[in-house]
Amino acid sequence: MKRLLAAILSTVASRALPPLVFGFFLLLYIGVAFFTDETLITLMALTRNSVILAAILALLPLNGFCRLVAEAAAELKRRRALSGKSSRVEPELYDEAVELVAPASWARVEERLSSEGYDVTLAQGGLLAARRGGTLFPVRMLYLVGMCCLFSGILVSLVSRGVNRQAVVEGAPFPTPSGNGGMVEKISYGRISGLILEKSLIMEVAGSDEQGGQKFGIYPPGRFRGAFVYPRYLGIALSYRLSSPDLPGGAEERTALLPLYPPGKEAATKIVGTPYRLNLTLGKSQDGSDPYVTGKMTFLFKLLKGQELLLTGSIPSGGEFVRDGYRLAIPDSRRMVMTDFVYDSGVLLIWVAGVLCAAALLLWIPLRIFFPRREMLFKSEGELVRAFSRAEGGRKRHAGVFHELLDLLEVKEKR
Amino acid sequence: MGSMIIETEGLTRSYGDICALKPLNLEVPEGEWLSVMGHSGSGKSTLLNLIGGLDRPTAGTLKVGGEELLGRDEDGLARYRREFVGIIFQQHHLVPYLTAVENVMLAQYFHSVPDEAEARTALERVGLGHRLKNRPSELSGGEQQRVCIARAIINSPRLLLGDEPTGNLDHKSTVMVLELLRELRLEERFTIIMVTHNQEVAAWGDRTIYLDDGLLVREERSSR
Amino acid sequence: MTALKLIPHLVAWTLMVLLLLRGFPGRGRGVTLWAVAGFAVGTAGYVLLSRMLPVKIPLEIIRATVGVSFFLLWVVSVGALYRSTVRDFPLFGVQRLMASPFAAWLSAVAAGLVAGGICASRLPGIEGAAAQLLAPLLLALTGALLVFAARGAERRLTSSLTIPPSSLLGALVALLLFSSSSILLLDLFSPLSMKVMKGIHDFVHQFMESILIPDHLFIRPPIWRAIGLLFGKEVGFWGGLVIWFTPAILLLLAVQLEPLPSVAQIRQGAQRRRVQAAAITTKRYRLVIPLLALTILGMAVYQSSFPNVEYWDPKPLTITASPGGELFIPRKGEVPLDDGKLHKYLYKGGGKEVRFFVLTSPDGKLTVDLDACAICKPDGYGQAEGMVICYYCKTLIPLETVGKPGGCNPVPVPFTEREDGVHLDAVTLVNSWSQTVQATIRTGKEMGK
Repeated sequence: MKRLLAAILSTVASRALPPLVFGFFLLLYIGVAFFTDETLITLMALTRNSVILAAILALLPLNGFCRLVAEAAAELKRRRALSGKSSRVEPELYDEAVELVAPASWARVEERLSSEGYDVTLAQGGLLAARRGGTLFPVRMLYLVGMCCLFSGILVSLVSRGVNRQAVVEGAPFPTPSGNGGMVEKISYGRISGLILEKSLIMEVAGSDEQGGQKFGIYPPGRFRGAFVYPRYLGIALSYRLSSPDLPGGAEERTALLPLYPPGKEAATKIVGTPYRLNLTLGKSQDGSDPYVTGKMTFLFKLLKGQELLLTGSIPSGGEFVRDGYRLAIPDSRRMVMTDFVYDSGVLLIWVAGVLCAAALLLWIPLRIFFPRREMLFKSEGELVRAFSRAEGGRKRHAGVFHELLDLLEVKEKR
Repeated sequence: MGSMIIETEGLTRSYGDICALKPLNLEVPEGEWLSVMGHSGSGKSTLLNLIGGLDRPTAGTLKVGGEELLGRDEDGLARYRREFVGIIFQQHHLVPYLTAVENVMLAQYFHSVPDEAEARTALERVGLGHRLKNRPSELSGGEQQRVCIARAIINSPRLLLGDEPTGNLDHKSTVMVLELLRELRLEERFTIIMVTHNQEVAAWGDRTIYLDDGLLVREERSSR
Repeated sequence: MTALKLIPHLVAWTLMVLLLLRGFPGRGRGVTLWAVAGFAVGTAGYVLLSRMLPVKIPLEIIRATVGVSFFLLWVVSVGALYRSTVRDFPLFGVQRLMASPFAAWLSAVAAGLVAGGICASRLPGIEGAAAQLLAPLLLALTGALLVFAARGAERRLTSSLTIPPSSLLGALVALLLFSSSSILLLDLFSPLSMKVMKGIHDFVHQFMESILIPDHLFIRPPIWRAIGLLFGKEVGFWGGLVIWFTPAILLLLAVQLEPLPSVAQIRQGAQRRRVQAAAITTKRYRLVIPLLALTILGMAVYQSSFPNVEYWDPKPLTITASPGGELFIPRKGEVPLDDGKLHKYLYKGGGKEVRFFVLTSPDGKLTVDLDACAICKPDGYGQAEGMVICYYCKTLIPLETVGKPGGCNPVPVPFTEREDGVHLDAVTLVNSWSQTVQATIRTGKEMGK
């Protein structure tokens, strides 16, 4: 039982595991591609609905965690050995390990190492440790934690994500499942000169019975009752009235939610209960300003009956158009933001992973190139001395110094 | 003295009608310091070139470390020169735009791969630890010759050949270089064959052979 | 002509055998025997299957086999890289398996089967039973002779050139891909590029949604253009290249990153350096085969991108509309419409130049389509070997499916077929062209949706 557990643990912590898992999913992807063009979405759906696939995916963060523990333990062992706190040095933790006859004095070795720029410490029990450069260990930890977060995030996101698309309309209650969100007081949209964003969008919501007032921007998305508020696209919520010779009573629509932004984009709406169809476009303003920003909106319309085009013209918000017995009025138009309310705890993990991996990369490059860690350890054991060496970079030069030192010891090989 | 490192039988080298080295029978035990004396044109350098694998004899045999050298093809000879022999010339033949340590590393490069730490150690051994980064023009004649010694021994040859290595040096530097060679020979246990004009220099060897007109005319053991 | 077409395939086959012989030293006889047998069976198998079944099926079998071997190469190259950089990488007994004679025989027979099949697919359909028998027989014999030639050549190769199993697989797969890439129906690179394009598009889209990245509306145009590159058509080609070449590059890296042996035990500097130098030389020799694989893969991409096939691609005839806005193409014009070939036309109207074609499919139905699809840049179509090919993405569309919308098929245009010929509406044609071309030239504007 114990052996089985050890075998499982070593498999889960193995560096061979991630490529195997990736390979498995790649194979699955290729398989799915034979049956559908929507391969990735299908694969995601399969993983979401299958415990086995989710468990296989879960091996990735688990492997990251196990590697983190294993590598931290190895680093701890090396540190204890370097500081002389541990009597045991494990050769497999080093690039090179060799056994020689002990010298009478360490003076020459120490002098040589110092001249090569190593920090040398002599500890009790005939131990000489030399190190140079900064260790990549913290960077590696950052990376591994990042990987754990990334794959946990993907897993959580895949399994638990829920999206609820709602229209946030100026002057209407903020859409919530319970229906008692505060009033959307203002939607302001404007140009900014950000590094990545060039537009700002702020949805200001007044306080309600359940929650105080809140503002929601673009990125990072705000949170509302556990959901991310993720604006998708802009549009106009408008009300219109139509009366025509064959529809003397008229027809009315109070809130038509139309994806009319940017100006020039056409959206169609069927006038319920009538054979009429209305194609609308938000007109560009004369002075070049954005009507969505200024709120001064004029709509270009086409009125169709079946395929037949009856009327075209333009109506400013609050105005009407009358011709040949037709009367089309747009009494009100408001800014609308089609918004996804995303319930997904994985997002935070993926964000954290992004930050950690970026930090790891930024630290890794200078450390690895300019100050790679190089270590040597000479440990006397009776008449013998055991020498260990490892380097995270600058290997060739480090190995040269190590070998020369061994020669300097002027001893005969014992192994 | 142990086994023979050099054994020649009827070793001859002619250039057309001119016989630079007449049939020579010579044995050099491993670890010996052999001095070769003679006037200009006596065949000293010809002998050195043949032993160093720089030239091929017209007749005779030449065994090195028990193996017939003449049976080797060009690659084999190149390997022999690279791994078995170190040579010091009268002219130092150092690359002028490389530093002392780089000159030594160049020899490592032609042998296998460069290793700076090892090259530095070699220069420290010949007393030039403080002149590592100097170019040949910044070194005295004695120092240049010591760089040559470091370069010659860096690849741990079994045979060190010297062609008048002290020919251009003053007395003090000559003694310094010869003492260095003696020390290194004790540490590294290589064999030295050194051609010289100078009786005093020849006397540093264990044995001296005299060549005249391509013929071995005399040999004597040193009293040192 | 056939012999000329066969030369590259036969050269590839000879190289395969040479590599197999060197890759399995001491198994020369077995490799020779199984290679000869594999090639002969491959040739015969293809000829038989193509007589009994529609020719697409044996070709599809070969293509699938090459595809699977490419996937296997991916697995092996990743494994090789891990093995040279991670000390405790498990091998699950692969080394023992590769040392057994079965590995040598199996590799030889498998390579022979596929190479024989590919070569046989190049044989022309000759009339007469004797000729039908003679051509494959000659091919099998040539294959066998080349195996012996390779054996002779292998003996002359320097002994320093050793081929580890991973590199052997790399080179074999590269040669198979090279051999198959010159045949339209066997080519893997073009379909791979298309799949990659779709895959990257989906992946980036899903990723951006998953971390709630806002739509293009809110993002600075230069940034969006940079993101948009991932949605462009070129990403398929470049992504395809990455997938295509990565296994060979991983094999190179695996050799390059393999640590040199520890020489700390050796107490003489010169000897230490000699050991290191010998290891470095060995390493350099081991880079030769992955480099060769890389080159051959490059040649395969070239063949795939510039296939040596003559397309039927007539110059479009310019036509004009009647005052009522109708375009008419007579059934029996200069060239009859029912000859089974593409008939291309050019119509200038509404400020646009519209290319479209009329084609009679093998079942006798007329179809009118834009010379453009809904996915790619409107580079148009050519006709070859019972199908049309999209010049942009090299996708092959069987003539039977031309006229059906979707994917890389030409966009169908509504038309009326009458006794005298084909009638179509000019405005509909121009609108259809505008919408299609506008959609395919746009780079990723729709991606946030």
